[in-house]
Amino acid sequence: MRSRESGLVTEPGTGPEAGAPIIETGGLYKHYGNIRALEDVNLDIHPGVTGLIGANGAGKTTLIRLVLGLIRPTYGQISVFGTPVAEDPAGLRERIGYMPENKCLPLDQTAADFVAYAAELGGIPPVEARRRASETLFLVGLHEERFRYLGDFSTGMQQRVKLAQSIVHDPELVLLDEPASGLDPAGRDQMLELIARFREFGMNVLFSSHILDDIERTCDWVVMLDAGRLIHSAPLDPPGEGDRLAVEVYGDPRPLVEALTRQGVSPTLDGTVVTVVTRSEDAFTVMRDALESSGSSVRRLGTSLRRLEDVLVAAARKANG
Amino acid sequence: MADSRETNRDQAIIVDRGYRHYDGTRTGRRGAVRAIVKEGFRRVMGFRRKAKRKLLPWTLITVAVASVVILVAITWATSQTPAEELTDLVPRYRGYFDFISVVALLFAAYAGAQLLIPDRTDGVLNVYFSRPLAVRDYLIGKTLAYATVILSFWLVPQLLLHLGLAALSREGFLSYLGQTTDILWQVPLAALAYFVLHASLSFLTASFINRVGAAAAAFLIGSLGLNLVALFFQEAADDTTGSRWAALLATEQHPRYVRDWIFGVHDSADWIPAQAGFGPGISLAVIVGLAVVSAALIGWRYRRLT
Repeated sequence: MRSRESGLVTEPGTGPEAGAPIIETGGLYKHYGNIRALEDVNLDIHPGVTGLIGANGAGKTTLIRLVLGLIRPTYGQISVFGTPVAEDPAGLRERIGYMPENKCLPLDQTAADFVAYAAELGGIPPVEARRRASETLFLVGLHEERFRYLGDFSTGMQQRVKLAQSIVHDPELVLLDEPASGLDPAGRDQMLELIARFREFGMNVLFSSHILDDIERTCDWVVMLDAGRLIHSAPLDPPGEGDRLAVEVYGDPRPLVEALTRQGVSPTLDGTVVTVVTRSEDAFTVMRDALESSGSSVRRLGTSLRRLEDVLVAAARKANG
Repeated sequence: MADSRETNRDQAIIVDRGYRHYDGTRTGRRGAVRAIVKEGFRRVMGFRRKAKRKLLPWTLITVAVASVVILVAITWATSQTPAEELTDLVPRYRGYFDFISVVALLFAAYAGAQLLIPDRTDGVLNVYFSRPLAVRDYLIGKTLAYATVILSFWLVPQLLLHLGLAALSREGFLSYLGQTTDILWQVPLAALAYFVLHASLSFLTASFINRVGAAAAAFLIGSLGLNLVALFFQEAADDTTGSRWAALLATEQHPRYVRDWIFGVHDSADWIPAQAGFGPGISLAVIVGLAVVSAALIGWRYRRLT
């Protein structure tokens, strides 16, 4: 279960928590006339930070709008926190925060006024809303600028205000639609770090993006949609595998494989990529010793050199037959 | 002392304030609607906005209040002259509605456009409808905000006028107030007729036009232009049924006709609907009908937007 104790939360979290799905869909279809936005989506989204990935038009925003209860499914079921969305959409929205991809800020208001207003709209009484607005703007790094008009903010600052309004009413689930779009690399890093911190706050996040790196850096679980169909839903790092390390070497990888075998581990070889999974030892130490004894040169090194992109391309190929 | 400061500086740490969960009560949809009303009022009046956003509303409010001061001053001046009967020619409660009709129309046009359009063009509807609000709640909140500013615009100057006239009264302040209790329901009811018509038309134009200036202009053209159309048909009067019904297009005159009815004035032949033979009840029905049609169209428009 997700921890929602009162008071300041300063202890780091422990990643995805076990528990019932926060979002469940069953045979979910959404058609706009002849356009099939979602097709037979059966999906469970568990607590933690989940990445929702897909090209433009894949159905990401449609899924988010269905979660919010802003549109109704053509067929099928969708539940949030175990409650069918159609049963009490307004009640559920009190527990959900949403950061839209597009502009959503009144440029003639100050950041403090707007975020406080967003809190009031989310059901927080006025005095507490102002206090929370100030705290939330502090959290996103805009405390000094909170009395400036939003029209005078840079794109990065506006994105932070959008993020602040999505969490100011203390939602249990935050839906982020392309939160890092339009940001420069430094701004993108800061935004992703902030989102990664939501775990510490006990918030669940559904994070839509078409940038795989952002998902890889931030999420525990990834869901991929393609042309309205669900083609992949799995954790980013499969649990229970042990300590894992993969190395791509220059030249012949066989000396490295032999050196690892001599150390008592069973490496796998895929082209020039050698992967070891150790149960009781530190995989890095094992690999370092084997590289030294075999004289192999490292080209790339990581916990997995099979990138999310490879996983999703394979999933898309499989789904398309 | 200096050493102590150095030590404190060395020990200083940046404290991460983290995130505080909220365990208090939630105000739900009612709280959200209240927030919309409050924020709508601030938006129209320019509160918590840059100075240039205050300019137009406060200029119009100043004109409205200044009109009262002028009326009271004229009343006082005429009461001091031998020709005291001139005092009766000075506009009072009913006449005040006409005295500032253009200013009120401008204020109504501005307020309606300002309440609805920026939320759409700035994309803020995305925030509203991700909260525990339905389209109906949003539109109710905006209508209540409009009612607050428009009724205040009519009623506050009328109250000042009432107090001013009471202060000048020969019978005495309290005696005047006691003799004019009818005003207490007549003025608000007349203001309500103006509000319903203005809210219907200004929200309708503001729902379909994405620029504040253009929507306000469309409202003004609609209100005043339709009067001209009705007048044209009346001038070109043959006795056909069509030209008679065209008199109902004079939307801006319906609340005036109803106001006269409320004030018990039966000599309202100046109004185009009256000249076409319609009673004030028909004008009231037109106002209510316009409100119903506008509400349906605005609701349809916003359901499509979400």
